Amino acid sequence: MSLVSLVKTEENTIDSIKKGIIESLKLIDHNFKPSENVVIKPNLCYYWDYSTGYTTDPRFVSALIDVIREQISPSVKISIVESDASAMRSTYAFRMLGYEKLKKEKSVELVNLSTDKSEEVEVAVNGQYLKLNLPEKIKSADLLINVPKIKYMTQTTISCALKNIFGCNPQSSKYKYHPMLNEVIVALNKLMKFDLHILDGIIVAGNPTCRLNLVMASRDPVAFDAACARILSINPKKVKHVVLANREGLGTPNFIPVGESLESFSKHYPKTKTTTKVLLLGYKLALKTGLLNPDLL
Amino acid sequence: MSLGLIGLGYIGRVHLMNCLRLDDARVTAVADISKKALRNAKALGVPYAYQDYNELLKNPDVDAVIISLPTYLHAESAKVAAENHKHILLEKPIARNKAEGEIILSAVEKFHIKLMIGHPDRFTEENQNLKTMMDKGELGDIQVAYATNISSGPFMHRADRDAPIPVPDWWWKKELTGGGVLMDLGSHKINLLRWFFGDVVGVKSYLGYRYNLEQEDHAICTLKFERGQIGIVNVGWFSQQSQDRLDVYGTTGHAYAGRKSSSRIKTAIQLMLRRPTSYFKSHLQEIEYFVDCIQKDEQPQHTSGEEALKDLEVIERAYANQVKLS
Repeated sequence: MSLVSLVKTEENTIDSIKKGIIESLKLIDHNFKPSENVVIKPNLCYYWDYSTGYTTDPRFVSALIDVIREQISPSVKISIVESDASAMRSTYAFRMLGYEKLKKEKSVELVNLSTDKSEEVEVAVNGQYLKLNLPEKIKSADLLINVPKIKYMTQTTISCALKNIFGCNPQSSKYKYHPMLNEVIVALNKLMKFDLHILDGIIVAGNPTCRLNLVMASRDPVAFDAACARILSINPKKVKHVVLANREGLGTPNFIPVGESLESFSKHYPKTKTTTKVLLLGYKLALKTGLLNPDLL
Repeated sequence: MSLGLIGLGYIGRVHLMNCLRLDDARVTAVADISKKALRNAKALGVPYAYQDYNELLKNPDVDAVIISLPTYLHAESAKVAAENHKHILLEKPIARNKAEGEIILSAVEKFHIKLMIGHPDRFTEENQNLKTMMDKGELGDIQVAYATNISSGPFMHRADRDAPIPVPDWWWKKELTGGGVLMDLGSHKINLLRWFFGDVVGVKSYLGYRYNLEQEDHAICTLKFERGQIGIVNVGWFSQQSQDRLDVYGTTGHAYAGRKSSSRIKTAIQLMLRRPTSYFKSHLQEIEYFVDCIQKDEQPQHTSGEEALKDLEVIERAYANQVKLS
């Protein structure tokens, strides 16, 4: 069983977020190891800013940087990493989403993993070998911190800690991995083992967007994602990459929540109605079979 | 009549599909730098596909072209099209600035070419009904009009089937776009308000930069028209939810026109039946009007090059007359 801490921040301010981060780390008894090079991986999935709940708030990362410098050393070198995706260029995302401003304010480095050096590595997962790229920046870091968002996602049911590491894959045409997304997510997590997962759950995407004011932390990405699934009222056993990650030894879906009750957050996410599920399935099928072709407007 | 399409990006593809639905014209050629886009067009039955639009413009079978290139290529491509005696439907805004717009106008005048700038808002049933109401005096004297177009603009998440498409790089460079949301979405609203109320005599604007871009990503612009009406243009690239509507307030009544968001089921049925979606119906009507004008040998009025240049002048004045809110 792994510990997962849940903390509700009082206000949506940097000070309040910082207190929430410190409290969430204390609850899982986490102390940062002595480090010189720290990598922080936020979730910048598109050009939608923090207010939509889709991307990590630079103010959250700013508060985390303060905590790291206070608890490790003021001179620790911090790099914020992201990679290009099929529809997103990190350079533009850093600018549009406030990370260039953060770089100046906190003297941190912004790294586009798609243009950084990387080496090809073979990773075994689910009985097959996948060739993936390990970025030099990740390999050389001595502390890796994952700062995901919590989201529903069509292809993987949920997106949280494990899925956010998919964004460390330097390949920009990430779409080509979608047919075997679960295996690739787990392989990347085996290749790049992050020391800490801390959720920016201040604003959460959904219909409607929700101000959860949640900070959640764990050293176990599987436990972390299982807790996220529970918050979204989804059974973790139905999330394929979580099940596979558990089977591959990345962690356990059995977790002990500490701090606030999980129900106080999950009450915002009632279970999806069957009719909605059927309509979604029909839409996906129509797209797949070509019956519905957006090209033919 | 034979059409050539230059540029098969997002809106170029919309135009291609609509052109294939025309009764009075056929698509003879397409041009785009993307080989995939050309392959797709050929698969739809387009006989000629070029990577260089100059080649398309030399094709004697092409009578008229629809240019859907990035704004920084408008002046050069339209000038070459005119020199090759092709009538032109050019995407808005006419150009990055007035000087480039004048290059286009002098070329079409010199070679006696028909030029139309794409403003589908003029073809929606809602906007046409609103104009009829106002022209009949049903709302009294219009004092204030409020035109809104809020969306993600070029940053809208788009997909080819379910594969995401990156936002083209030129959108991030002001020198290539000529401006931000005021050029992109504001040009439609200014064009519409000028159609209703005539020339603009005064302009003030507030420009916002939420996303740290070189260009403004939201803008509020106040216009005073020659007959005294006040128009407020409220445009933005900042929202995942789109709204496109126009409210008019007169001395005896109020009314509004807006693009109603079609239900997903209705859109799905329209796509399955290979019909234009409700949203893009006005784009089809715009092309039908263009073809009709050429066949009747008439200059298109919705929107002529001269009118589009006036829209651009209003935008340039808005950029020059900014209000600082501290």
